[in-house]
Amino acid sequence: MTNFRQMIWMLIAAFGLALSSVQGHAQSRPDADEPGLIADDGYQLDPEWQKQVVYYRSNEAPGTIIVATAERHLYLVQGNGRALRYGIGVGREGFQWQGLVTITRKAEWPDWVPPPEMIARQPYLPRFMAGGPGNPLGARAMYLGTTVYRIHGTNRPDTIGTAVSSGCFRLVNNDVADLYNRVPVGTKVIIRQKPEL
Amino acid sequence: MRTFRGGLTIGLAVAVLVAAAAITYERYDTKTLKRTMRRGEVLCGVNKGLPGFSNPDDKGNWTGFDVDFCRAVASAIFDDPSKAKFVPLDASERFKELQNRKVDILSRNSTWSMSREVNYDLYFPAVAYYDGQGFMLPRARKIDSALDLNGSKVCVQADTTTALNLADYFRTNNMTYTEMKFGKPDDVVKAYDSGQCDTLTSDASQLYALRLKLSKPNDHMILADIISKEPLAPVVRQRDDDWMMIVKWTLYAMINAEELGVTSKNIDEALKSKKPEVMRLVGTEGSYGEDLGLTKDWAVRIIKHVGNYGEVYDRNVGADSKLKIPRGMNQLWNAGGVQYAPPIR
Repeated sequence: MTNFRQMIWMLIAAFGLALSSVQGHAQSRPDADEPGLIADDGYQLDPEWQKQVVYYRSNEAPGTIIVATAERHLYLVQGNGRALRYGIGVGREGFQWQGLVTITRKAEWPDWVPPPEMIARQPYLPRFMAGGPGNPLGARAMYLGTTVYRIHGTNRPDTIGTAVSSGCFRLVNNDVADLYNRVPVGTKVIIRQKPEL
Repeated sequence: MRTFRGGLTIGLAVAVLVAAAAITYERYDTKTLKRTMRRGEVLCGVNKGLPGFSNPDDKGNWTGFDVDFCRAVASAIFDDPSKAKFVPLDASERFKELQNRKVDILSRNSTWSMSREVNYDLYFPAVAYYDGQGFMLPRARKIDSALDLNGSKVCVQADTTTALNLADYFRTNNMTYTEMKFGKPDDVVKAYDSGQCDTLTSDASQLYALRLKLSKPNDHMILADIISKEPLAPVVRQRDDDWMMIVKWTLYAMINAEELGVTSKNIDEALKSKKPEVMRLVGTEGSYGEDLGLTKDWAVRIIKHVGNYGEVYDRNVGADSKLKIPRGMNQLWNAGGVQYAPPIR
């Protein structure tokens, strides 16, 4: 009897596994990191994710970055009731923390060294990748505090507006370059998560 | 004889008093909720056709932000959004029809102003949508502030408050402009599309709808600046406080739900929440729904059937709609906007 039950469970598990691997292939890789893929510069973002000046009431000083993860928007406060808004891709896991960090370092066409926890999850990732158009970090990176997380570009503009990263915030390369030129090291970055039930 | 006459006088006086009392009583309707419940549906005055806000398709299915608000009220009362019945009304007849009790509520892109509230004996319970006058212009001009519009040729509909606001704004900011006036909104759009003006001004919600009529909508943008106040609100009759409270708190429940992260998708999870604010909203703590004359789960019904404020916004006028109007002022107060609901407690 026990054997029979075990067999049933094993069958269910095998079926589940088969199903999940089929789904994994049907969608692109769940992390949406595709090292080596060259970003399509002509990719047209949905209006919702295009860089634009918007009405934005804030007590934060002009020059502050506010990342609204639930909205998939990054705001650069301009003062006078306005902000520059960029569409972003956010973490499916990882950066659940909210509060204040500062930009501690900036880099152009950064090299990519996936952190050990990311390698553990996705062993197929390279251990090191030199900066360039096929690099998932894209054209620029801004390092957040002492964390392993960054605001960076991407070689996958189609992932803007989604929650797929390993915790970083990604912008299309044109946008991240634009933001990079507007914010110095030391810029305040406020991260907001959606409220928990 | 004398006593008879005296009796007659007293009788007459009583009759007059009773009649006066009856007239006064009739004038102020305090039974909207009762009548709505007996009838089994909410009668809702709506716009005959305004994309994003109130629009019937060829089968008579209504969609829109204003329409969904009526469905929210119907859900709170009947646990059934289909119990909202829509009565299309002209701008000129809308307030009269509400006063004459042809509808229980007006949800018809109506601007809240003092004179409308005071002179018409009506009440605007809360602002559902902050609209206001803005500017559309070609993206190629690379302008991102209305203060950079000095010397522009401006397309505007003639004889509207829009034209007056335009004059005020340019004068106040020491700018000059050339007014290009047209009678109909469609003519304003045509003139702008053919390049006769540098910019077109109208209420922001209108600009996004008008942009869809241009030959190349994506080549045009709407500035973030809003230069006038057009707070759109539902309307009810004065002195029916029970009904007014239901309309007001239906909207506030939707706004509070968004602020607390409660959506139509996670409402079951929210019912298990141990967070006091969420518990009061979904009725697992307190008797807020009963105090309103409804049930404990009044807000759950709204959120389950219609969604929270953000869901209704996105679906009808925001990112998931054709109009794609950014949240702007209608974003929550703690996320860059001014949309703010008093707490449920």
